[in-house]
Amino acid sequence: MQWRLRRPIPAAFVHAPRETAQPSIADLEEGEKAVVLSALGGAGVKRRLAEMGLTPGTELKVRRKCAFHGPVEIEVRGVCLGLGYGLARKIFVQPLKEKTDD
Amino acid sequence: MTNELRVALAGNANVGKSVIFNQLTGLNQVTGNWPGKTVEKAEGKLHYSGYEIRVVDLPGIYSLSAFSIEEVVSRDYLAVEKPDVVVNVIDASALERNLYLTLQLLELELPLVVALNQVDFAAKKGIRVDVARLSAALGVPVVPTVATSGTGIDDLLTRVVAKATSKEKSTPVKIRYGKEIETVIAKVAQTVSSLLPQLCAVYPARWVAIKLLEKDRDIIGRVSAHVNGPAVLNRVETLVNKLEKVHGEESPVIFASERYSLASKIAREVIRIETPPRISLEETLASITTHKVLGYLILAGVLAATFTVIFAGGNMLSTILESAFSFVSETVEAALSSILSPFLSELIVKGVVGGVIAGVTIALPYIVPFYVILALLEDSGYLPRAAFLMDNVMHKMGLHGKAFIPLILGYGCSVPACIGCRIMETERERLTAAFVVMLIPCAARTVVILGLVGRYVGLQAALALYGFDLLLVFAFGRLAFKVLPGEPSGLIMEMPPYKKPTFKSVLFKTWSRTKDFIYFAFPIIIVGSFVVEALALSGVISVTVQFLSPLMTGWLGLPAVTAVPLIFGFLRKELALILLSEALSTVSMSIQSLTSIQMVVFTLVVMLYIPCLATVATCWREFGWKKTLYIALATVGLAFLLGGLAFRLLSLFNALSLIAVA
Repeated sequence: MQWRLRRPIPAAFVHAPRETAQPSIADLEEGEKAVVLSALGGAGVKRRLAEMGLTPGTELKVRRKCAFHGPVEIEVRGVCLGLGYGLARKIFVQPLKEKTDD
Repeated sequence: MTNELRVALAGNANVGKSVIFNQLTGLNQVTGNWPGKTVEKAEGKLHYSGYEIRVVDLPGIYSLSAFSIEEVVSRDYLAVEKPDVVVNVIDASALERNLYLTLQLLELELPLVVALNQVDFAAKKGIRVDVARLSAALGVPVVPTVATSGTGIDDLLTRVVAKATSKEKSTPVKIRYGKEIETVIAKVAQTVSSLLPQLCAVYPARWVAIKLLEKDRDIIGRVSAHVNGPAVLNRVETLVNKLEKVHGEESPVIFASERYSLASKIAREVIRIETPPRISLEETLASITTHKVLGYLILAGVLAATFTVIFAGGNMLSTILESAFSFVSETVEAALSSILSPFLSELIVKGVVGGVIAGVTIALPYIVPFYVILALLEDSGYLPRAAFLMDNVMHKMGLHGKAFIPLILGYGCSVPACIGCRIMETERERLTAAFVVMLIPCAARTVVILGLVGRYVGLQAALALYGFDLLLVFAFGRLAFKVLPGEPSGLIMEMPPYKKPTFKSVLFKTWSRTKDFIYFAFPIIIVGSFVVEALALSGVISVTVQFLSPLMTGWLGLPAVTAVPLIFGFLRKELALILLSEALSTVSMSIQSLTSIQMVVFTLVVMLYIPCLATVATCWREFGWKKTLYIALATVGLAFLLGGLAFRLLSLFNALSLIAVA
């Protein structure tokens, strides 16, 4: 049995505008959902994020945001992750316009 | 003749590998509900249907990309040692993320058996995994297990043996990437297998090709050490550049995305969501403990409760045990003095018996309650939440939230805390974390703080010492942040779901840690007490004491004999308190004859000066002798500097307040 895949990253996501007003995870509200577009940073940071499942095209949900530019708790691929504010700001997302109740 | 099998347990952090390991081997590897707990591989043995099976529990990893020490340890073990079977433990409730590693294990062409663990927990969340389908999708045997209750372990063993003896006839899936990526992989794989035959004897050529394309530093290093290395790397670089240009992403991200989309595809095919997940108690807890206001209140409450239990419980136990044991000591003394010479009897009573009693009555009462609380915190899954909440504070020290976990462990014992610093990503962060961890008063130092200052001076003074220590930790963390080169990295940490700690596990953990303490510390306490008593009786001590008296009396304002407990405190910090009374008794003083200021100064020095022998040895192993020496010298210097300053400031303050009263 073999798995053969198509490229998972739509071109529009890859070439997302970076320096413009594209929101990052840190801009989302608690309970808001979004899709990962791209991440800023060195190869090390990008690799770490990708390996924890935050690859472009992935859907995530913000569970908790700490006050005073604190860390953000997100849910991605069925797992809860704590993200430092600095990192959260470097991950650009496309918010999805459906808020959940909780 | 017994047949030997070697089995390795691999999987993400916090999926229950250690629990399965304990179930398999009957051993007692300490478990816990926080990612990064197992930092070294543990080994055990068992016998099953005529086989002697050696099981290795590898540290939890998310990937095989040599990003952290754990990943390198695990990968080298798997690729180089080539165990007969690799059991990949995966968490049924987070299948997609766990399959990411499974796919990489398949890529390394390892003989795999998948243990689908925590199926009960997944079911509670409404997630049902179709085992047969998953097995078909991966092309490897999959065994559902509930490690905590031992369900499925027998089945797992049967499958492992079948796999090892090639009775299991399944062909693992070949992971295929996008067409253009496959072309590149094929090109590199061919180059690698023709130019680097030695490397391909250890790792599969296709895997080496993928790792080179992913810019894996470890593999690139290995290749470049080879004669043909530069040629291969040049070729790879051109191909990587082309690939990155086409995809508009860094190559590691391209590969991760591909693997994740395959993992996600498989997960979607085998998972059925049965009941709509309703909000459980654990969910609610998870939600409020990271709340922006409530979360911090709860954290403060947890820390305050921890301290109260240790202090109040410790004091109570200590008093009870002391009155119980004074009787024992008197009985033994009376019995011995009738048989032995006065010299020998004093040596034994004060040295050996005194040492044991001091260990039991002074050290254990504070240490055991702490171990109970630590076990509760670890098992419940609260530690990662605390780490999350503390992220901002830790960033001020150039660390991130995860460093809070070794910091908390440091209140128990500096040794595991020092090893626990491995959860930090960079060398710089590990070193900074280790340095501040050593300034945290461990349980042994807590014994001195609470047993001396808390008891004789007052709780406020003890609290002030803890507060002062936290200030120091913060100040030095900040200093290290400014001094050490390198960029701080951000927090990415898994927050595992809450689990109810089981009575058995908490009891077991407390016992195993207490046992370690007794086995390790008591011989040192006894020998230490014995040596001090012998040295005192032979007069050697008075020479040393005289030599150090300018420092002890002149600078710190302490009785000269207090040099003795400080010297021996290097062996075990609680020895400092245990030996303090003995040392004082040699100049016919007792602990109560010390002034409050002297007690505070002595405790401050004990709290800060050189970490104990075991910690120094651990630090040496983790960071090398040079850095260890720097840390040791820095802490000794700091302790004596602050001790002397504290003596002067407190005396001045005392004098002023006396004047004010008059």
